Amino acid sequence: MTETKSAAAVGAVGSNSRNARNLLAKPWAGTVMLLIFYLVIIAIFTVLSPFFLTFQNLLSVGSNMSFIGLMAAAGTPLIIAGGLDLSVAAVAGLSGVVVAMGVSVGIDIWISCILALIVGGGVGLGNGALTNGLKLNPFIVTLGTMSIISGLSLVMTGGLTSPLLIDSFNWLGSGRILGVPFPLIFMLIVFAVIWWVLNFTPFGRYVYASGGNPDASRMLGIPVDRTQIILYGVSGVAGALAGIFVAAMLGAAAPNAVGQHLLTVIAAIILGGTSLFGGRGSVWGTLLAVLILGTLNNGLTLLNVSSFWQDVTKGAVLLLAVGLDQLRVRAQN
Amino acid sequence: MDQPALMNMSGIGKSFGGVPVLANVAFAAETGKVVALLGANGAGKSTLMKILSGNYSRDAGTILVDGQPVEIKTPAEAIALGIRMLPQELSIFPDLTVAENIMLAALPVNGGPVKTLDRKRMESDAAALLKRLGLDWLSPRVRMGTLSHHVQRIVEIARAMVGNARILIMDEPTAALAEAEVQLLFSIIRRLKAEGVAVVYISHYLKEVFGISDSIAVLRDGRNAGTFVTANTDVDAVLEAIIGNRMGDIYPAFAANSDHADIVGVTGLTVPGWLRGVDFTVRRGQITGMHGLVGSGVEMVGRALFGAVPRTSASSAQIEGRPYAIRNPGAAVAAGIGLVAAERKREGIISMLSLRENMSLANLPRFTDGLIVNRGREIATTGEWIKRLAIRARDSEQAIGTLSGGNQQKVCLARWLLGDLKVLILEEPTRGVDVGARQEIYRQIRGLADQGLGILLISSDAEEVAGLADRTVVLAGGRVTETYERPTDAAHLMSAASKSAAA
Repeated sequence: MTETKSAAAVGAVGSNSRNARNLLAKPWAGTVMLLIFYLVIIAIFTVLSPFFLTFQNLLSVGSNMSFIGLMAAAGTPLIIAGGLDLSVAAVAGLSGVVVAMGVSVGIDIWISCILALIVGGGVGLGNGALTNGLKLNPFIVTLGTMSIISGLSLVMTGGLTSPLLIDSFNWLGSGRILGVPFPLIFMLIVFAVIWWVLNFTPFGRYVYASGGNPDASRMLGIPVDRTQIILYGVSGVAGALAGIFVAAMLGAAAPNAVGQHLLTVIAAIILGGTSLFGGRGSVWGTLLAVLILGTLNNGLTLLNVSSFWQDVTKGAVLLLAVGLDQLRVRAQN
Repeated sequence: MDQPALMNMSGIGKSFGGVPVLANVAFAAETGKVVALLGANGAGKSTLMKILSGNYSRDAGTILVDGQPVEIKTPAEAIALGIRMLPQELSIFPDLTVAENIMLAALPVNGGPVKTLDRKRMESDAAALLKRLGLDWLSPRVRMGTLSHHVQRIVEIARAMVGNARILIMDEPTAALAEAEVQLLFSIIRRLKAEGVAVVYISHYLKEVFGISDSIAVLRDGRNAGTFVTANTDVDAVLEAIIGNRMGDIYPAFAANSDHADIVGVTGLTVPGWLRGVDFTVRRGQITGMHGLVGSGVEMVGRALFGAVPRTSASSAQIEGRPYAIRNPGAAVAAGIGLVAAERKREGIISMLSLRENMSLANLPRFTDGLIVNRGREIATTGEWIKRLAIRARDSEQAIGTLSGGNQQKVCLARWLLGDLKVLILEEPTRGVDVGARQEIYRQIRGLADQGLGILLISSDAEEVAGLADRTVVLAGGRVTETYERPTDAAHLMSAASKSAAA
């Protein structure tokens, strides 16, 4: 009697571990793991800080991360397609400068914003042309353009911050619709649109194919280069949008306000389960990762942990997530 | 006969995953002799030589060197016994000098507490080796990358001769060499012979084999199929040993009648370095074979027509009588051409995507309503083809990378059949595919031809072309050397491909 019982127990353990592996192998397992992780840190901070779990605080996390979210949302399909844009945060800085300069010479604020978007898109398309036209490594190309653009922003402004106090413009950064900050709403819409494009359109399929195996994709007549160039352009426009939101939030254009956040953008994309080698990833993973990184910052600040330690935590979380993701990929094979 | 052979392998057996690749194979090499090792693709030549050079372990049999049994478990052990293998692909360091390339595994150092490179001795040792091979004119200080392909090959031979080299295995050493370069290689081989080195020479070019070898050993389906003294035999006898007489069974019947219209007409197809003005046609309802040895340009024909090779040009190209401009694969697909690439992993499948996504990729506009891909229709179509081609998979959502080679190949075939295809180019369609799946793929190819497609079958496997093609074009040296309007046999194809290669 006892023997059969223990045998059954052993069998149950065996099937449990097999079930666990099957669960890990599901395509959405990575996103679910992130969601669980998100809920766990929310629970921890809720216990440790009475100020954490308030509607206002959670909204402010989302709002503060929205400009990073915009850049990460556009960077995700680019990396899935086999590209990389390190210049996106520098473009955001430049975009604020363009808006401020436009206003200072008497151009309407909204036309200045459109100019900034055109400049951002142009830089992106330039990145695309260099990487795909001349077959240069995207890491090198965008490292170069990042340096050129952040340098130019400083040259144009002399490194000074210029005020941009225009009510209708500042509303972009601080306005609310039904109590929800506008930047947060805008970011969520962008995520939804990119998700829709990636999952339901032929272009989205080409994104995954181009990154998964560019040679095979070309042999099927798929426009790999065009797909990537478009995505570089989108990344540039997203950088410009992020710069506009930051300028609206701060009420000023600071040439180096966004540059330092580049690593957070890339970290969010990787943490979200997108493969740096291309072919794999989802924007929902990126969104969760953005929220996780924002929540960590917010929670640690509420707990009075030094911002130096926050960088250490961010790095540790990234390494942990990438390690877990490797286990997941191995379970799939 | 009194003295034991320098190296003697006997009773060698090897299987991969339960499939026997070598069974009871014997092979010997003698001091100062060149022995040619021949056989069709997959006959087991490479496996046998990888066992001898310590890259694979053997399952059965013995290896004697100087009459003594030896165990060769690693490449290092083979090298210590004086066994050296020249790989089929160049493996050189273009940014190092010739001397560094030759001496890399045995760099001389200065004495003293800190070991520094003795550059002088490295260069003089390298120069001495080059002189032994009759290459006094080559400076050991030249950067490897500045040398032409065949000289790099020869430097590789010099590298293989460092130390006590007694047996040199050369796998297709002339695959990309011109006639004069082949003669230079031969003069080096003769010098090595005179020094007492045993050379194992693997090649598909029978003319070369008869020019350089002392004896010939033939493998077929992983077994010995004959050994010959080169001076006492002829090409026909060797060819018969290579091919055997096991034709038939796995191939479907040929096209019933032969009065088919041209669907593709190409003249003057040129790719610098590969093709020098190739003319050919593909006919509706027939399988047109394109055969040639590795390096003959046959590997480029299909992809050049498909627009996947830069700097391709043609005097004229037509599809169904309408002019077709060779630009890029997208234009080819739009014109009704499909291509199944030889390197399935690299150019065929996108391994992390599902079977469904791989299947619909080239014809995605067909599955698109407005802006949106209609997934329901995709799943239905994929399911239909899974059934029709008997693809072994859980469902249409399984990642294609997890299927077997034969099943992946069926997906690569099916993806083109969803669209308005007129011409299907197949590159080495059964490479790395087991016999069962092979027969199924052959049957499908014939079925497609019967439905009115024009099939261009590109293969370096003469037997496959002979068994399947209704008509055949043979290439050598980037030109058409022979066109057969009727099915022909493998022996004709092989001799046409190899005898004219050096011309």
